[in-house]
Amino acid sequence: MPADPTPGQTPGQTTNQTLEDAPGQAPDQGLDSRPEQTPDISVSSLSAGEMLRWVWRQLTSMRTALQLLLLLAVAAVPGSLFPQRRANPAVVTQYLKDNPDTGPWLDRLQMFDVFSSVWFSAIYLLLFTSLVGCVLPRTKAHLKALRSAPPRTPRRFARLPQHGSIVLNDGGAGMPAPDPAAAVKDAAAILRKLRYRVDIRDADTATPSVGAERGFMKEAGNLLFHTALIGVLVSVAIGGMFGYRGQKLIVEGEGFTNALIGYDSFSPGTNFNPDTLTPFALTLDDFDVRFNRDEQSTYGQPLDFTARMTVQESPDQRAEDRVLKVNSPIGIGGTNVYLVGNGYAPVVEVRDGEGNIAFSGPVPSQPTDSAYTSTIVIKAPDANPDQLGFVGFFLPTAVVNSEGLAFGSDPDPFNPRLNLNSYYGDLGLDDGTPRSVYQLDTTNLTQLNGRDLNAGGIVLEPGQTYELPDGRGSITFDSLKRFVALDITYDPGKIGALIFSTLALTGLILSLITARRRVWIKARATPEGGTTLEYGLLARGEDSGLRNEAIKLEQALSSHWGVTPSKNEQKKPEPSPDTPQQM
Amino acid sequence: MSAPARTNPNPPHAPRTPPAPHTPLQNASAPGSPRPRTRASTLVALLVTATLLITGCSAQNNSLAEQANAGDNKNYIAGDGSVAEYAPDTRSEPVDVKGELYDGTTVDSDQWVGNVVVLNVWYAACAPCRVEAPMLQTLSTSFAPEGVRFYGINVRDEKPTAEAFERNFGITYPSFGDRDGKLLLSLTSYVPPQAVPTTLVLDRQGRVSARILGIADESTLKTLIADALAEDNPVTPLPSTTARTDDAS
Repeated sequence: MPADPTPGQTPGQTTNQTLEDAPGQAPDQGLDSRPEQTPDISVSSLSAGEMLRWVWRQLTSMRTALQLLLLLAVAAVPGSLFPQRRANPAVVTQYLKDNPDTGPWLDRLQMFDVFSSVWFSAIYLLLFTSLVGCVLPRTKAHLKALRSAPPRTPRRFARLPQHGSIVLNDGGAGMPAPDPAAAVKDAAAILRKLRYRVDIRDADTATPSVGAERGFMKEAGNLLFHTALIGVLVSVAIGGMFGYRGQKLIVEGEGFTNALIGYDSFSPGTNFNPDTLTPFALTLDDFDVRFNRDEQSTYGQPLDFTARMTVQESPDQRAEDRVLKVNSPIGIGGTNVYLVGNGYAPVVEVRDGEGNIAFSGPVPSQPTDSAYTSTIVIKAPDANPDQLGFVGFFLPTAVVNSEGLAFGSDPDPFNPRLNLNSYYGDLGLDDGTPRSVYQLDTTNLTQLNGRDLNAGGIVLEPGQTYELPDGRGSITFDSLKRFVALDITYDPGKIGALIFSTLALTGLILSLITARRRVWIKARATPEGGTTLEYGLLARGEDSGLRNEAIKLEQALSSHWGVTPSKNEQKKPEPSPDTPQQM
Repeated sequence: MSAPARTNPNPPHAPRTPPAPHTPLQNASAPGSPRPRTRASTLVALLVTATLLITGCSAQNNSLAEQANAGDNKNYIAGDGSVAEYAPDTRSEPVDVKGELYDGTTVDSDQWVGNVVVLNVWYAACAPCRVEAPMLQTLSTSFAPEGVRFYGINVRDEKPTAEAFERNFGITYPSFGDRDGKLLLSLTSYVPPQAVPTTLVLDRQGRVSARILGIADESTLKTLIADALAEDNPVTPLPSTTARTDDAS
């Protein structure tokens, strides 16, 4: 690979450096002037090394970075059009079942795992590389610009967009006019006070001058913005690698231990190590839900969910009481426990055909509407001689309509009813196949109860028992408990993402509010024995405040020497020769 | 990244937080020299590293990730059948747990010293637990003469449900009722059970000598128990450890 640092023949040599960072460079290469239309002939004549370099320059150009950023946003769109496994795998499984033709193809294109898909990652990686390749040379150029003196004093100030002069004569009260060198020195001090970097040149000649520059915070802010963007990317990546997210449902009085075994479902980060789970334990002591009972329009709508929990942060620590609410997670170490759902868990007892208790305990039901009309599946795999299964509805406040159909009318348990169909046979659990706890696979089951059968459906209120037909057992609705669904997440990149996005915003604001300006002041002795101070201002980029800055400078100069402005040759601001600064 | 902000009741297993963009990036370090040649090779290196990491790392969590993506609502974390046996010098401290059996007896791990102990985490509706239950019962009977003790740790069921399971499969060894997860919590300090079922073998000193995640294979478990039995029976190891500590202090 040639070590020649000036690849003249390579197309696309415009780098991402904004043009201001290269003083003296002709500002004629806008970003649009990149020779992308260069015929293929010149590309094909490149050696492998030059090709790589060309690719690198393309990749690290500002335009590519912006395009990649846009592409990233576009690529995220399917993530909201299709169900995502990371959000809810069960919905994806259902989608695949419902769309047997298109589903597998969408799956092959990773439409259900958009944020971890190959194509999304590719854009992400390229953006990351592009940003790194962009920030590094710019930082270097900026540091160089910080060290170098303001550019040389132009010969004719009349060409600058803002310029003028003041004449310093005898002070009148015996004070002689300052000589040019002293005047420039004072002017430099004034400019310094206006927060300019100053450089006095030609101090011992007849026309000493001072060059001044300000607004380095603009590029610094710009660099901060880009660096912080990289930080955000890295933080999110760390979260995706070492974080995890799991779900657990707890009925009142039950507990949860933060070990893999304790979870109902669990999504690990790519580099997640299960041994690193913080071992803490939670117990749901009591769950309280308040519904609106005061206003007609919002009657029955939820007002507040409060879960009182006992938390033991580590095996050798003492348990303490904590309150968990929606949007107010419990933080344990770096792990956050969110309250994401709730419902009713009727406590039931199932006796089998032999009269033994086959199942006893709370069974969480799945709420389907705001009245907590819930679906419920009860399985008694240890019932003998046949396994028993129940499927149906739980209604907290059941109302029966004219057709004899029960429906739920209120979320509070004013009139709880369990409406069930019953089955016996093989629940399909004994061969080790995972089965959904929210579904009853009736393939190998025979129905005992149902609206269409002679035996009818089972309707139970608390305390009631129903004897199954043919002496196959009984079911009792003992009492009612509530449950909470918890989302337990660990995202080690979260704090980093917050810090870096704050920094990015700070950098962006800095780069937007800071104006880059240059000022030159030149002093010359007049034939009358006075001193003329000429000044000129130049903005770097679009700057509507330049005229005000010129007036401010002249006032500062005038008041310093106690003169009234003599002749101000303000011209109308000309269009700046510089290209507007790019981000 | 974002707290679930829902006040409406929603189905318990459908938390719908916006998916955090998952990123397989590893290397946060920026390429060093800005010279084009180095930069280009750094780019290549970065991409290669990233690719390796993406492919390399996903294998480790395949089983977990597959389960997460299955969306079958089975409500437990299944094991992949992986077996880990720990050499005597790499084992954790002796397990120090205490719990109550379903019959009301309190059992302290102190009582286990000198015996090999098999702990099996289970619950009745867990499909793989039902598969391995008969095998565990067989082994518990066959190893009884050698003083091997079997205990179940039931993480979900209430007593009658657990008893129905035991009756159904003819299980004679006792089980801890651990719905509140307290026993599990103390156990995580040693070797965390990471799936249902998990089977742990404790050596005569009470240290975890082997762990099986998922359905245990009969011959494998037999070998693991036999290995633990074959190790020297330390003469009252716990008091001697205490004595040594006392001397030091």
